[in-house]
Amino acid sequence: MTIASWTQWICFVALSAGVVIGSLGVVLLPNIVYSAFLLGGVFLSVAGLYLMLNASFVAAAQVLVYVGAVNVLILFAIMLVNKKETLAEIPGLPLRRLLSGGVCAGLFLLLLRVDVTTPWAVPGPSPVGNDATIRIGIHLFSDYLLPFELASVLLLMAMIGAIVLARRDVFTVDVITGEDVDQALIEKMRTPLLVETTPTQNPALEATR
Amino acid sequence: MIIPLGALSTLFAEAAPAAALPPGLGITALQLNAGAIAPESAILIALLVCLLVDLAGEEAASRWVPPICYAGLGTALVLLALQWNAPVEPSFLGSFLADNLAVAFRAVVAASTLLSLLISWRYVEQSGTPVGEYAAILLAATLGAMFLCGATDLVSIFVALETLSVSSYLLSGYMKRDARSGEAALKYLLVGSAAAAVFLYGASLLYGLTGGSTGLEAVGLALQTSATPVTALALVFVLATVAFKIAAVPFHQWTPDVYEGSPTPVVAFLSVGSKTAGFALALRLLVGCFESFDAQWKVLFTVLAVLSMTLGNVVALAQTSMKRMLAYSSIGQAGFVMIGLVCGTEEGFAAMVLYMAAYLFMNLGAFACIILFSLRTGSDRISDYAGLYQKDPLITLGLSLCLLSLGGIPPMLGFFGKIYLFFAGWADHQYLLVVVGLITSVVSIYYYISVIKMMVVKEPQEASDVVKAYPPITWNLTGMQPLRAALVACVLITAVGGVLSNPLFNWANGAVAGTPMLQQAIASGALSSAVG
Amino acid sequence: MTALRAPLAAVTSGLDLQTSFTTTLQGIGLTPATAHLLWLPLPMLLVLVAAVVGVLVNVWLERKISAAVQQRIGPEYAGALGVLQPLADGLKLLFKEDIIPARADGLLFTLGPVLVLIPVILSWLVVPFGQHLLISDVGIGVFLWIALSSIQPIGLLMSGYASNNKYSLLGGLRAAAQSISYEIPLALAVLAVVMMSNSLSTIDIVNQQSGAGILSWNIWRQPVGFLIFWICALAECERLPFDLPEAEEELVAGYQTEYAGMKFALFYLGSYINLVLSALLVAVLYLGGWGFPIPVEWLAGALGQSVDAPVVQVITGSLGIVMTVLKAYLLVFIAILLRWTLPRVRIDQLLDLGWKFLLPIALVNLLVTAGLKLAFPAFFGG
Repeated sequence: MTIASWTQWICFVALSAGVVIGSLGVVLLPNIVYSAFLLGGVFLSVAGLYLMLNASFVAAAQVLVYVGAVNVLILFAIMLVNKKETLAEIPGLPLRRLLSGGVCAGLFLLLLRVDVTTPWAVPGPSPVGNDATIRIGIHLFSDYLLPFELASVLLLMAMIGAIVLARRDVFTVDVITGEDVDQALIEKMRTPLLVETTPTQNPALEATR
Repeated sequence: MIIPLGALSTLFAEAAPAAALPPGLGITALQLNAGAIAPESAILIALLVCLLVDLAGEEAASRWVPPICYAGLGTALVLLALQWNAPVEPSFLGSFLADNLAVAFRAVVAASTLLSLLISWRYVEQSGTPVGEYAAILLAATLGAMFLCGATDLVSIFVALETLSVSSYLLSGYMKRDARSGEAALKYLLVGSAAAAVFLYGASLLYGLTGGSTGLEAVGLALQTSATPVTALALVFVLATVAFKIAAVPFHQWTPDVYEGSPTPVVAFLSVGSKTAGFALALRLLVGCFESFDAQWKVLFTVLAVLSMTLGNVVALAQTSMKRMLAYSSIGQAGFVMIGLVCGTEEGFAAMVLYMAAYLFMNLGAFACIILFSLRTGSDRISDYAGLYQKDPLITLGLSLCLLSLGGIPPMLGFFGKIYLFFAGWADHQYLLVVVGLITSVVSIYYYISVIKMMVVKEPQEASDVVKAYPPITWNLTGMQPLRAALVACVLITAVGGVLSNPLFNWANGAVAGTPMLQQAIASGALSSAVG
Repeated sequence: MTALRAPLAAVTSGLDLQTSFTTTLQGIGLTPATAHLLWLPLPMLLVLVAAVVGVLVNVWLERKISAAVQQRIGPEYAGALGVLQPLADGLKLLFKEDIIPARADGLLFTLGPVLVLIPVILSWLVVPFGQHLLISDVGIGVFLWIALSSIQPIGLLMSGYASNNKYSLLGGLRAAAQSISYEIPLALAVLAVVMMSNSLSTIDIVNQQSGAGILSWNIWRQPVGFLIFWICALAECERLPFDLPEAEEELVAGYQTEYAGMKFALFYLGSYINLVLSALLVAVLYLGGWGFPIPVEWLAGALGQSVDAPVVQVITGSLGIVMTVLKAYLLVFIAILLRWTLPRVRIDQLLDLGWKFLLPIALVNLLVTAGLKLAFPAFFGG
């Protein structure tokens, strides 16, 4: 083996180990913050694998989108709501863990078998290296034009929806009748889902009205 | 803006082929053949105008958004009618195909959005949530569903699926101050994302098999030559996604909670529009691609159909909430439609299309009634409907007719849809499915009729407290007139459409006859049964 | 890491150190592979040294210029004019006790500063000082820098969280929010430049500006883009007026509050390397990179010399390095001046500026650039 292929091999093993161990950690670690950071590591390792496949644009996009945006967002969400809360004990937890572990192992064996038995078309198409960026652009504006444009609608809607759900200014009256509204389902609950800790209306305020 | 069914079908029947396309479309129709998505473009324009109008404030939005939506959806329906029987040419270099099947399902989706919007204005205003964004998100969901009906490559399918799903999550969480709505959105999001991930995994396997192509045609070709475990795995993954979208048992767990927690008009859309898109996806993927695995997916779908019909209809018996009952009933209804899919004959496909159209009107009619009831009383419990006949004859009549139709009682539209499905199944020797379908229909009739009995038979003194305190009936508030129009139209079509259903039959048969993909499947099915 | 191993660009013209180095080694009997292997660490080491020396210069400039702004003298005892002061600072940090707070998360606490520093240093991969004077001409050039700079917030969040201190956590969250908000207009500004040069490679971007000396620099064609990029770069470097993550009046020192010794030095180093890097990239993207204000070809022609002559090549190469560094330090000077003259913005003003002002402007700038490119392909890169 030449030096180049040795380096390739070592890099591949290191990155794959990063992906596998990292994702196991994401799932198994009890501390959710560790899981989130490990997820970032997994994304980075995947980017490294792309790099080894000569797909540098996809690798950089992976880092930018998954590490820079998705993972930071996840961390943000965790850190903003990381309230220490003791959750109720789940009955039969070890058995459940065993079961889900068994299902995962079964799925893994199935995939392994599929992978071994399928006559994959190796080697695949030859890598285009730095021309890949141009190739991606051509695809986006020819045979993948429709999904590309539709994705813009999807992103616009996701953005607007997120703003609607997150914004604080709410209408307190119905614009047509002027009645009070509460932005809840019209079908009211008979038994409250959550136990109210504070009274919704201040009795003193009621008295002054 | 309601287009009566008769007018709709004559439009479809009389529309000339491609030559009749509006002159403006000719310019865009270069080699992309972009005219195929003209209906979607109309909806997209309506969506953007809604968002712009919404900038002017809530009052302007509540005045102008409804007409804009009607105009967009109406134009889309007219453009769809013009596409009927047009020569089938792949557009966007193989990403989209506007065959008759796609046109029919897209029309059902667009009509379901139109009706859902008509019945939602008052609901949205009364809950105090912004109208402009509501309409825009619902239109985006429609856009996703319509693209899903015609998409012919894996990437387009996935993006369309996600557009539909993301908009649906947003809509189900739209009543943001209500814990139930939040719960519904979160559950839907988690389960939906898992389903999307599974689909993506299956799609990546299919992509690997084709060796670098995402078109469904290439996938179909690759599947014909490869009979390895990998195709079985891909089949299972893709099937799981389809089953999730049409809420077939055992992929249905999200349905009751999502239906209960979402705003009722959204449930109306999800139960019809989203499901229609799911069936279109099922046809494209299973009939179009997995043709060489015909026997396998048909066995799987038979199991799904039997489970859906049984569980959906039996569990619906025990429900006390109207929305939950309709959720389980919709699971059962999806089971009936699956009979047509399993048949794989000309009659089977036509019965599917017909039943989806019939389901559109009867289900949305029922939803219009329960929305009206909850607007007036703030309740959706079945026991609260007791004695409603005395106070509100319109709701009582409408709901009774729609529920009878859903149950499949003769002169209604639903009866003809169901009988056509069962005939198709019987002709294709699917005896198990038909027998299960008949038995569960009887079960469903029981719980539908018990609601009607609750409304009609109870004496005035036995009426529920809610009904005793029933407010005087007024229609003068903004948004009530469209609700009434939608209610009356749906109920009329449900009641009369059954007797005058010939145009609808012709339309459903035309949808199958004008779809090369289905014709091919029917021909090969006939050939194999002749050989067998 | 394969990008690092990718061979340098093929020989066309100009100074090419790699080829001369490897041919020399092959001359004394080594195989090409071994020669290449010996060459590999050299440019990396060189850049690392250059980056650290750049920081030392930077710190000295910061102290001296701030002193001048405030009419003080600044450091003067360590070396002539206090030039050795940064070294003394560094030594002090090196010998300080390394403290990990008792309730902190030791692992993440240590990893945080490292994660902040590594992407910044990796980004030097694509900074060109001449036609062949960069570590690797990867095809995705500036995009790699944008992608790498998005890793930094993770390190900041990590150290903010691991410090187990609410000021640190707030600082980390602020840093991440700021970094994400300003990355978008930054990328859009870069996109307009990329659109004109038809390439993401930093070499191509500089070459596209080399036609007519100072007149063909991108700053004249992208004035709005230049301003957006500069503002965003300052925000990404967390320089005043955008140093909210470590605003001392509100957050003590933000995510750095609990850090001491060498770990603090890593943050310090990271932020200054990032500043120099941003200045270098502004020079590359908008100020003609290594180009002299008057094209070297004209000068050589006026002096009657051939551009390919070895002496001219060496002079051109050195001139390129000097020009790049000069331009970068001019920008660093402006950044320091801004720091000591402007007040800090509030956090809501910062986010408003990013999302409601810079983002739309950057989008419009991109659109106008596309339009101009179609209308005047000769001037805006056909």
